[in-house]
Parts: sequence; C-alpha cells; structure tokens
Amino acid sequence: MSRVLLLLRKDLLVLRRSPVLLGVLVAYPLLIALLVGLVASYGSAKPRVALVDEDGLPEVLEVGGQRFRVNRTIERVSREVDLVRLSKEEAERQLESGEVVASVTVPRGFVSDLRGMVRSPRLILETTRGGLAPRVTQQVQALVYSLNRELQDAYIEANLEYIDLLLDGGVGTFLGRRFDVLGLRGTRRVLEGLPAGPKLDAIREFVRAAELALAQTDDALRATANPIELEQAPERGRSWVLSAQVQAYALGLTVTFLALVLAAGALAAERDENVLGRLSRGLVGLGEVVGAKVALAATVAVVLGLALALAFGLAIEVGDVAGGEPWSRLPLLAVGLALTGASVGALGALLGALAGEARTASLVALLVVLPIVFLGLVPREVVPVAGVISDGLPFAHAVRFFGAALYDVSPWGSVGVEAAWLLGLAALFGGLARVGMRRLVA
Amino acid sequence: MSEPPVLISARGVARQFGPRTALAPVDLELRGGETVALLGPNGAGKSTLLSLLARASRPTAGHVEWGPGVRVGWVPQRAAHYARLTARENLVLFARLEGESDADQAATRLLSALELPDDERASGDLSVGNRQRLNVALGLLGRPDALLLDEPTASLDPWQRRRLWETVGSMREGGGAVLFSTQHPEELGDLADRVLVLRGGALVFAGAPAEYALLDSDRIFA
Repeated sequence: MSRVLLLLRKDLLVLRRSPVLLGVLVAYPLLIALLVGLVASYGSAKPRVALVDEDGLPEVLEVGGQRFRVNRTIERVSREVDLVRLSKEEAERQLESGEVVASVTVPRGFVSDLRGMVRSPRLILETTRGGLAPRVTQQVQALVYSLNRELQDAYIEANLEYIDLLLDGGVGTFLGRRFDVLGLRGTRRVLEGLPAGPKLDAIREFVRAAELALAQTDDALRATANPIELEQAPERGRSWVLSAQVQAYALGLTVTFLALVLAAGALAAERDENVLGRLSRGLVGLGEVVGAKVALAATVAVVLGLALALAFGLAIEVGDVAGGEPWSRLPLLAVGLALTGASVGALGALLGALAGEARTASLVALLVVLPIVFLGLVPREVVPVAGVISDGLPFAHAVRFFGAALYDVSPWGSVGVEAAWLLGLAALFGGLARVGMRRLVA
Repeated sequence: MSEPPVLISARGVARQFGPRTALAPVDLELRGGETVALLGPNGAGKSTLLSLLARASRPTAGHVEWGPGVRVGWVPQRAAHYARLTARENLVLFARLEGESDADQAATRLLSALELPDDERASGDLSVGNRQRLNVALGLLGRPDALLLDEPTASLDPWQRRRLWETVGSMREGGGAVLFSTQHPEELGDLADRVLVLRGGALVFAGAPAEYALLDSDRIFA
C-alpha cells in the first residue's frame, strides 16, 4: 500500500474515532446553509411601510360609479408590504428610527382628484437610505400599479356604461347631474318613422355605422388599457428548496467547509502529535503528507456529497418533481466532489502548514471558510472584484460544476472548464502547502 | 582485530534558529557495538544534535552521513505517535512505513519486548510510562543498526528504566550502536563506553566515563 494511502487510512480511522467532531463537521455546514436560506428568504419578506392618511380616506369610495372598500382594496393590493396606518409625526419618527422602511402619504385633495377623474391624484413616497430602499420603492411602485389597475378597471367600466348609454339610451349621471339620453338605437327607431329621403338616408347610415362601431368599443377599450396582459399560469416546476441552484450551493458549502477544516486540522495535527519529524526522516515525503490530507478531504467530500445528492434525489422522486438528472449524473457529480474536495483540501493543507498547530489551523479555517463562500455568492455583475477574487478560490467553480453536472442538458463545456480550474487550484495550493511544511519540520 | 564500522558520521554539523545558535559545529562518529552517552543541562543542544543525526531536521552547516545500508532508529524526547490509535495500530502503521516485511509480526514482537498493552485503548489514554515505552518501540521498528534515544528514561520508574536498558543492551550485543542523552550522570553506570558533554550548544567534553567522573559536573550543569 502506498504511503499516501497508509496515512489516509490512518486519518479516516482517527476521524471515525471522533464521532462528536464528525457530527459537528457535518451538522455545522448544514446549519449554515439553513441560516443562509433564512437570510435569503428574509430578502423577500414584507418590509414595514407607513401609510399616512392626510385626506381622511372614507371607508367606501365611489369612483366612476364603482364602489371601493378602501381598507379591503389596500389590503388586497399590498401583499408585498406590511402597510401600517400612522399619523404624519409618528411616521416621520419611525422612518428616522428605521422602524418603518418607507412612508406613503395620501395628501389632502387626493379623494376629490380621484373622484373628479380630471387630474391624476398623487401619493408621496419617502424611503430610508440603504440597501432596502430600492426594493421598497419597487414594492410601493407595484402597490401603486395594482391600485391603478383596479381604478383603471373602474374607469373603464364607467366609460363603458356611458357607451352603453349612447347605444341604448336611458338615464345617466355625470358629475352628479342626471340626464336623459335617446341613444343610437332610439334614434334609429325615431328615424324609421320618418319619410325616406337622401338626407335622412345619410343620417340613418351614420347611426347604423356608429351603432356598429360603439358595439366593438367594449373589447377595444379594455385592450387599449392593457396592450399586453400577463397571464399567470398555475405554479409548476420545483420549489425553491429543491431547485438546482440550492442543491449546487448546498453541496458547495458543505464540501468547502468540511474539506477546508478537515485538511487544515489534520495537517496541523501531524505536528501536534510530534510525528512530522518521525515521518520526514525518509519514511514519507512532505508532498506525500500534503497528498494524504488532500486525499482525505476528497474522500470525505465524495462520501458526504453523494449522501446529500442522494437525499435530494430521493426528495425529488418522492415529490414527483419534473426536470433535472438526479440519478444518471451522479458519477459526474462524484468527479466534481472529488475535485472540489481536493482543491479545498489543498487550500486547507496550506492553512494548516501556515498555522502550525491544530487548534489555530481549525480556527483559521473556520474564519476563512465563510468569506470564501460569501465571495462566491456575490453576483459578479454587482461586485466585479468579488468575482475576480472568487475565481482564485474553489467555491464558485465547485458550485458551477455541480449545477452543470446535475442539470445542464449538455454539461461538458462548463464541467471541463470548472474541472480545469479546480485541478489548477489544487496544484497551486498543494504546492504552496508543501513549501509551507518545510517550516514545520525545520 | 578490525575497528567496528562507522554507522553515523557528523562533520561540522551545526544548527541556527534565526539569530540563536542551537548547536555550534560538532564532529562525531558513532561506531557499531558502542554506547555513547550525551550529557548536558537543559538547552545544551542535545535534542538538536540527536534530531540532526536522525535526519529528522536539517543542519544549517556541515553534514551527517549514515554508513551504507545503515538503518537508524530515533526516539525523540516527546512521544511521537498518534494518540487516537492503539499501541498496536501505531506500531503496524509505522512498521509499514519503515518497510517491515511483516508489520503485524513486528508489532507483536515489540509489544511483547516493551511489555506494552495490546488492547483497544487509544495510546493517548495510556500511562506516561507506557507512552514513553511505545515511543521507544517505534524507534526500534525496522531493526535499526544505530539507535538514537533522547532522554528515554525521563518519565520511567526505576524498574521500567532497568527493563529499557536491558532491551537496548540486547541490541548493542547484536553489534548495534546506541547514542542516548540524559541529564542524569548517575545513569551512566557501566552503560556508556564514551561520554559527550554539550553546554550552550558547544561540545565541551568527549572521553571515557572514568575521565568524565573526574570533571566537576556541578560546573557543567550549573
């Protein structure tokens, strides 16, 4: 058996005899993944927004002949925000203290403008500074858009009633005044009782054409209001929890954490146990010691990563979720796990060699692993520097490899590029770790 | 009668740690069948010299040579084994790394010779004396021609010390050489053929035990 395999077997035996350590190493990244998920879901949680009613919105508002129950309408259109009614002073105080992230003010004259249908009524939006402001602005814009849709429907209905009145005649009201209208059909009936003649024929023809045109107005008016209408189909596909992205990130996070901490701790432990001197007397080369730690990280990454992938696969099967290649791509995934484990393990070995003793190495690995992961999570388009730094670390490459391996129809291009990156990083960090180890045995 | 072969030879071997001189240049030869005692106070450079001779660390000057085919065993002062493995597992692992043809048999032989427990206990849970004897057993793997022992009796009781020297003595009778360090001159007894004394990283005495006995040892260890 080769010397690397002998050391690997020893490390696996030591790991098996440390069940608490193994349990923590497995549970901790899963816990972190869960917390990251919670933080991510907080990103879509309802922000608290103040509603300042300076105009005294009535309980029921009639616009264009349509009656709106104001509270119910606001409730219906404000699903994305938690709208709380506050006085102007309280809203200003809470906005300053950050208790609300925005304030929407209904100014005086709003209701009369709305009822008048002549001038657009205005709402005033104030937001706090900081990261949430653009999102809140978007959500308030969505709220106003939804309100406009409801009002638009009411206006269209009101306009259509006037058109019906023009067509059929009857009693109408406008700005509170009642009036009788003969209507085109009534006009036609009156004209039919009059003697024929070229002038009367021209009037009859106009009435007939106007009748036909106004009969088409209903759909045309609705279409003008919504040139493009978005129809939402029933939900299908995977839930967020079972999405390809979440699987790739969960695998990447777990393997990165485990491989880094294990390799760093295991290499530094060789020095703690005072065996490096014994090993380096020609029994085992420094490169072989590093190789054993890289192999340890890769082995644990493959075993744990495949277990996670199997759990995901089973959940997908049980949930009868369509899409993806949960089973046939497992061998390719195993290759990615091994490469990721090796690459991260080499980085861990470097940290272990630099730290010199196991406790420091484990602490350093713990401190380093989260920035590595979060750098990989930051979108390159948002912070280009993060993307550049992340390219020099294994996490982002691992996530892209896993995503392609599990779900791309033709994964070979992406997988090839990311595999080359992971191999290159493994060689670089492994070489540096070997150099760093010289210091430990000096 | 021909002189016993030189097993280990050091020429001007020295070691610096930054600005600090741990060992000034030393010349030394260790021949087959001889036992050499290395004496000196704490920090004299004994461990440094032994680790250099064992090739566990590299000299900053001079060089160390082992005779052709010579196998050297090394027992560092601080126990060097995997605490989570049992005594047998440690011995089997290092026997394989040493290239022993039958690692299990070698482990059994040394467990018996050093009277070590052959059970499921992790070596880190053994008594200090047992851990030190395991340390010695690991140094004896590969059937070394020369054995370098760094204060091997520091944590042993008198009975264990006697057993250790009996084991080491049998190796000497087989033509092997032993170089051991100690802070206890009274241990020399009739064990050592030669005595070397280090002080402040420099070799200050080399001679027979009888000559050493004439020295003012208080001055050396002061």
